[in-house]
Amino acid sequence: MTTSALDIRDLVKCYGARRALDGLTLSVPRHTVTGLVGSNGAGKTTMMMTVAGFLRPTSGSVNLLGQGPFDAEIHKGRFAILPQDSDLPLASRPLELLVHYGRLQGLRRAAAEQSAKAMLDAVHLGDRLNSPIRALSHGMRKRVMMAQCFIGSPDLVLLDEPLSGLDPIEVAHMRGFILQRKTHQTIMISSHNLHDIEQVCDHVAFVEKGRTVRFARIDELTGKSNILSYQLAGTPPDIPALMAALPGGATLDFNPAKLTLICRYPSATFEPQEINQILLPPLQAQCGLIAITQGSSLEDEYLKHSLRAKDKRYSHLN
Amino acid sequence: MSALLQVWRMTCYEWFDAVRSRRVLVALVLYMAVAACTMYWAISILGQLEDVLVKVLQLPQSEQTGIVSTTLWKSKHFQNMMQSMAQSNEVYQDLYGKHPVELIYAWLLFFYMPMLVVLVAANRIPEEVGSGSVRYVMFRSTRGAWVLGKFFGQLSLIGLAVLCSGVCAYLVALIRLGRYVPPDILYNMLAWAVRAWVYAVPFTGLVMGLSLFTKSPGKSTIVGMLAIMSCFIVTVLVAHFTTYTGWRFCLPYLAALLPADYEMLLWRKTFIPLATGTATLVSQGFFFLAAGYFFFRKRDC
Repeated sequence: MTTSALDIRDLVKCYGARRALDGLTLSVPRHTVTGLVGSNGAGKTTMMMTVAGFLRPTSGSVNLLGQGPFDAEIHKGRFAILPQDSDLPLASRPLELLVHYGRLQGLRRAAAEQSAKAMLDAVHLGDRLNSPIRALSHGMRKRVMMAQCFIGSPDLVLLDEPLSGLDPIEVAHMRGFILQRKTHQTIMISSHNLHDIEQVCDHVAFVEKGRTVRFARIDELTGKSNILSYQLAGTPPDIPALMAALPGGATLDFNPAKLTLICRYPSATFEPQEINQILLPPLQAQCGLIAITQGSSLEDEYLKHSLRAKDKRYSHLN
Repeated sequence: MSALLQVWRMTCYEWFDAVRSRRVLVALVLYMAVAACTMYWAISILGQLEDVLVKVLQLPQSEQTGIVSTTLWKSKHFQNMMQSMAQSNEVYQDLYGKHPVELIYAWLLFFYMPMLVVLVAANRIPEEVGSGSVRYVMFRSTRGAWVLGKFFGQLSLIGLAVLCSGVCAYLVALIRLGRYVPPDILYNMLAWAVRAWVYAVPFTGLVMGLSLFTKSPGKSTIVGMLAIMSCFIVTVLVAHFTTYTGWRFCLPYLAALLPADYEMLLWRKTFIPLATGTATLVSQGFFFLAAGYFFFRKRDC
């Protein structure tokens, strides 16, 4: 049994002369939630569609659950996807549709019904089991689409923009729904909402121009365990003195435009409380402290990583 | 076994969805309306023709449409004329003595069946591929099972619609002609409906096979219509240009690839030609579908 639920090597997908995927390589560990982040047209959806067998790769390899590329006979019931921009059959009813899908996956009728009901309850559609899909709102349809992915508890689930179009309460609920499942399922989420990705994912992959440009654990990427960021009310008068007070291995970086002081420290040696004990008294006394945050946000990291390299027009966002 | 089960589930859901979306209703109404209208029209034409015959031949006036035709069947000259129109003595012998109403129904049904098949079946696959709903199925089942499920679903839907059209045409004939249409004609008309359904198999395979090449339901319907019209044009041209010398001698082999070439086998009463025609037409249906599937199995969805 391989440790990766999904292993993609040098995947290339061409549409005529355009290379939607240009040697994308990615390995998704089992029982994790991995976020896929990238600009429009970066290749996220193409990658998911290729993994699911909807698109045929031009070259490269996909190893799904250690059993080679997608094959309906082999992966049926073990793999599911929420495809983007794909309508459900509008005349169907959620319960009967999900039971049909469950039966196709190989579940017995009773098990399919039980699983379908449980999933529709879990996405707050327990009272709309027999409403025609055409009568459901966009957000409700999205929740049916989410529910169909988890019928029969497949090992690997790919979700393409799962939270778009949902109201804030449902977004929060769905985040919990996904988090509950990560102990026994591997989930990959493609989203432009970096806050959602940060909330639910363990790992994140930045995809640009059909390639994975970065893959890391979220806490490593955002520095949750080794960066403290101080939002100050003014400019500290003596940064070298603050630096001298810090233990070995820690560094300070001041951004005068944003009045932000960033402290990087070796997480293996220090706890954030120890750094705060040293820095807080002089900062409060000298220039006033507004807020402290641990690490940076995924959005900051993504902007730093991608946009600056992309175009000078976006430099003001950094 | 698992693959057959998948096909069965797809077929059942195709029916389920057809009922839910009222496509069954549309198909039934379409077939029944066409059968009723054409039967009504054909009886009117027959009545007018008989009136002309009565006047020209100075026969005694009949109260009921169809009686003159039935009498004509018994005339030797008329039989010779029909034999020459059927272009086959065997077919003529099998049809001899059949009630004009069931012959009219059979002829009309075989005539309009291909076009009705296009209207019912041509857009089913592109609808699902175009809307993306096929993607919810494709990671749960093979593409082959999905295509076959759709095919069997449409065939069974057409089968039901054709049987209903038989009942409908019979009722129209009964209303128009009264006691001249005995009850056992209904049974014969349903038997013709089953034969016409067999004739629909290759056309269903053809239009569904072609629909596997496109994601647009409209385009698929147009391509299906063009394909069916082409089949008939080729059949007519082959019949016209075939000679027993030169390269034109080969033209019948081209026609043999098309369903219309086997239509008359379904008009026979004896088992062997009927079974041969059925087997050939069903094989053609699967062949056309398989040709489309050969492209679809590798295609991006």
